[in-house]
Amino acid sequence: MSVVEVPAPEIKPPGVARRLWLAELVPFAVGILAWQTLSLLNVWPRVLFPSPYEVAQAFAADATSGVLLVNLSVSLRSLVLGFLVGSAIAIPLGYLMGLNRASRDFFDPLVNLLQAIPGLAWIPFAILWFGLGQGAVTFIIVMSVFFPVLHNLLTGIRMVQPVLIEAVQTLGAGRAAVIAHVIFPATLPNLMTGVRLGIAFGFRSLVGGEMIASTDGLGYAIFNAQQYFQSARIVVGMLAIGITWLVMDRLILRPIEQRTTMRWGLIRDGIDTK
Amino acid sequence: MTEILVAKNVSKTYFDTVAKDDVVALSGISLSVQAHEFVSVIGPSGCGKSTFLRIVAGLDKPTSGEIFVSGKKVSGPGADRGMVFQEYALLPWKTTEANVEFGLRLKRVPKEKRAVATQRFIDLVGLRGFEKKYPHQLSGGMRQRAAVARVLANNPTVLLMDEPFAAVDAMTRQRLQEELTVITASERTTVLFITHAIEEAVFLSDRVVALSGRPGRIVADMRIDLPRPRQWEELVRDARFIRYRDELTQCIHASADAREEHV
Repeated sequence: MSVVEVPAPEIKPPGVARRLWLAELVPFAVGILAWQTLSLLNVWPRVLFPSPYEVAQAFAADATSGVLLVNLSVSLRSLVLGFLVGSAIAIPLGYLMGLNRASRDFFDPLVNLLQAIPGLAWIPFAILWFGLGQGAVTFIIVMSVFFPVLHNLLTGIRMVQPVLIEAVQTLGAGRAAVIAHVIFPATLPNLMTGVRLGIAFGFRSLVGGEMIASTDGLGYAIFNAQQYFQSARIVVGMLAIGITWLVMDRLILRPIEQRTTMRWGLIRDGIDTK
Repeated sequence: MTEILVAKNVSKTYFDTVAKDDVVALSGISLSVQAHEFVSVIGPSGCGKSTFLRIVAGLDKPTSGEIFVSGKKVSGPGADRGMVFQEYALLPWKTTEANVEFGLRLKRVPKEKRAVATQRFIDLVGLRGFEKKYPHQLSGGMRQRAAVARVLANNPTVLLMDEPFAAVDAMTRQRLQEELTVITASERTTVLFITHAIEEAVFLSDRVVALSGRPGRIVADMRIDLPRPRQWEELVRDARFIRYRDELTQCIHASADAREEHV
């Protein structure tokens, strides 16, 4: 058979389309430049608006003294542990609720009730149950990660195209095969959104929780620096959180998406209309 | 000749949630399809032809009546009744190759045997060279070729097709139709094909069954006696082709007029 047909325009794999490493630094350079310019204008007292240079100095000091690394590792441990526990409950529960009517009817009202309660509202009980420290912090991270992961996963299950399920059924797929070959991959984009939001919510609770319930970690470091008017160190703590997220995104989440949902054409980088 | 598919007095009534009333979609459809026969079901939109196909596939349940495939009563979807959908329904996360071999994987066919069969059907539909592409990298016509290969590789007793070429452009459609007649003839496939396009039905089929407007009843069952292989260039000028087409058109219009008078 002759095929004269033209295939759809080749969609560049995201890896190839990625900009140069140097080009990626441009937005940050512009940000730092704007920041430096603002601080040179001397509009605000330096304690209220530290310059990039002061922050860099504070960063170097905290990095060499080891304080930064200790706080970072303490916070990361709570965050990762809280995230793992939260999603380890949310993901199986999500599939159970999405695929089984009885469990959906049972859990849905409970989930809806608890959903609106911010993770931070659990702090009093977290302290009572786990004492001051990273145990309490981890607990509220679990509570913060759980709902966005569950909610997005459920949305993903609701969005699965029925025709895909029907098609594999006429190829002989039973329930297990439908779940493995259709439901799991089809829900991946939403699950990834849930994971991103979960981590973002986790960071918020981490910082808030450490300010109240802990004596170490990045959140505590920010809080502590404020007590001593060390505004440059506040920024160091804030930037450490931002950079941690950036690294997690680039090293873990994006590669997963590039190898799955983007490769399958389910999501793209954006819509660049000409 | 062996009867592959038998529909006995199949009716379907469903509750229309908007109109808040029962709607009779299909009324007493009895039909039998012989081995290696290509049968098309045509009718105006809303006549229930797709519903009928879905009932044969086991994706919908009839309100009354029964379907038998190879003597076995249909109670749900199964690999013996593979279906090609208008919207292709390829799994976006699987390459052409993985989509085509999917049914064989479910049947636990050994890897080497699976690979041979998969390649044979990819070649048959003209997708050699596109084995490692994902569906979103293929054109509409190519996606539908892959969907056909996916079902054929699974060796169904009857191939069900629900307006499979409605979403592709006119040029591609004609080519896909010509290719389908070649493939189903060489593979000796039994086909039940749904379309609203009368010419398409005549071009492809050994028999065309026409349904009236809602509720769908059989108003014609016409044998199409045209030589194969068929090609559009020749057939559009063939007097027999034109006669079949016109007779079926009249038949459907007459049933529509009768219905309007009745209303």
